[in-house]
Parts: sequence; structure tokens; C-alpha cells
Amino acid sequence: MAVCIAVIAKENYPLYIRSVPTENELKFHYTVHTSLDVVDEKISAMGKALVDQRELYLGLLYPTEDYKVYGYVTNSKVKFVMVVDSSNTALRDNEIRSMFRKLHNSYTDIMCNPFYNPGDRIHSRAFDNMVNSMMMQVC
Amino acid sequence: MSRQAGRGTESKKMNSELFTLTYGALVTQLCKDYENDEDVNKQLDKMGYNIGVRLIEDFLARSNVGRCHDFRETADVIAKIAFKMYLGITPSITNWSPGGDEFSLILENNPLVDFVELPDNHSSLIYSNLLCGVLRGALEMVQMAVDVKFVQDTLKGDSVTEIRMKFIRRIEDNLPAGEE
Repeated sequence: MAVCIAVIAKENYPLYIRSVPTENELKFHYTVHTSLDVVDEKISAMGKALVDQRELYLGLLYPTEDYKVYGYVTNSKVKFVMVVDSSNTALRDNEIRSMFRKLHNSYTDIMCNPFYNPGDRIHSRAFDNMVNSMMMQVC
Repeated sequence: MSRQAGRGTESKKMNSELFTLTYGALVTQLCKDYENDEDVNKQLDKMGYNIGVRLIEDFLARSNVGRCHDFRETADVIAKIAFKMYLGITPSITNWSPGGDEFSLILENNPLVDFVELPDNHSSLIYSNLLCGVLRGALEMVQMAVDVKFVQDTLKGDSVTEIRMKFIRRIEDNLPAGEE
């Protein structure tokens, strides 16, 4: 389903980035990096309203000709960015939301691992398996 | 403050995640303090031993079990009453040795290791070694010397966690608990 999934720390460096290996990975890194600007814009726009009404799911950040980029930010300013193929129109909004929810849950599980220092790159097998299951469907 | 014997197991509920995180923080701090895994294992065992010698009193007061007549009874009490009371799980007992002095406790899930993944540089760390110390210390206080060790661990890729307990001897003379 997803073509690239990235977890970005609050200081805007990547904690985890994984893309479907058939494509040029650098292009995805660049896409994710540029999408961070859009994320920041959305956060600051919503932040002027009451903060507790802010939703975690940011929705479609921007569409390019091949891909659509979706974003999700947690209350600790950790961002999840997902790039999906534009041709995959069957993906609905609530499916994306549930994928982000799964990502968020796996991320909290990693945080609970006492051997993980917050701010390190993520090297967890369980997280890898979960991300692979979300990317597997792309042939 | 006297304790009622029949207070039961629901006296103080605590969030199990806090417990798991506390134990995790303890193990990681030990890993940072002692560079090598063997020392950490030994320390965990010592700490467990100190917990065990005190925990046995609480256990006997709350559970009201009488003296066990043989090692099989001891095994049953440990698995069905003690583990249930303190960790909320009931391990199963298997693999009795022919002489009846060794058995295995199989734990399907170990609440101490929720969310934990062992990093590669700590591959010989026995994360739940505290449990071995607790069992050893507690049984020593009821005059049984046992040897407790982990033979399978879900953190190392096995499907279940298996603890092997071996009865060594009955402690006849009351040695003072000056063992470290």
C-alpha cells in the first residue's frame, strides 16, 4: 500500500525511513524532507486555535504526479510521513488513518523498550515487521 | 500494623506497565554501570536473592499454605500460587527429571519483558535473572537449596520462557543469611 514510510523526530531528523526497494530511495528521502515544511505549516496554522482540538492526523500533505504524501504528528512532535502511490486510488482516508494508528502504536511500543534511547535511530525487529506488512502489497 | 491472613491477592493493584518500565530502567542502568553482561546477570541474581528472602515471609503470610512434603508440592505451590499472586501469570510445570528433583516452569508470557527487545551487543544478558534470584532466596528461607536458571527465553528468540529448577539439598543447620 505505502511506498515509503518515515518517522521523523521532533528536531526534524529521521529516526526511521524505509521505502520499497525497487525505486530510487534518494527520491523518497527528498520527498519526505520537503514534506516536512508542509507539516510545520499545518502545525503552526492549527496551533493558533485551541491546542487540544488539534488532531493528530494531518491528512494529505501534497499530491505529486506519481505520489501522494500523508502526514501525522504526535503530541511529542514526532512526525510520521507516508508516501503512497497515486495509482492506488482504492486507499481511503480511514485506511490511511488506521495505518497511522498502527504506526503510532508500534512507535509507543518501541519507546517502552528500556534499551531504546529516545532520539536514536530505530532498529527494532517488531517495527520492521509491521512496516513491511504495510508495504508488502506493492508488487 | 497487623496483616489479615485472608487478605487475598487483590490488595494493591498497580499498573503493570509501570512495573515493566521500572524493571527495564533497572536493567539498563545496570548495563551502563557494569560494562559486561555476566556482571549484570550476577547483580540481578543477588538483587533477586535479597528480594526473595523477604518476599517469602509476605507470601507465607498471605497464602497460608502449610509446609510442603516433597518437591512436587513445592513446584505446584510456586507455579499456581506464588507466580499468580505476584506476577499474575500461571506457568506450567513440565520436564520432571526421573529422580523427581528437577523440573521446568514454562511461562507463556513474562510480564517483565513486555515491549523489550534485546539489542545485539547484550546477547548474553539474562534479562529476567532477577526471578531466578527471587526463587533461590525464597526457597532458601524454607530450608531448601535450589539451583535456578533460564534455559529458554523469548527475548532470545525462543517461543516460550523456560526456567529450570533443581533441588540440591535440604538445609539442615540454620546458616545465617550472610551469603552476600
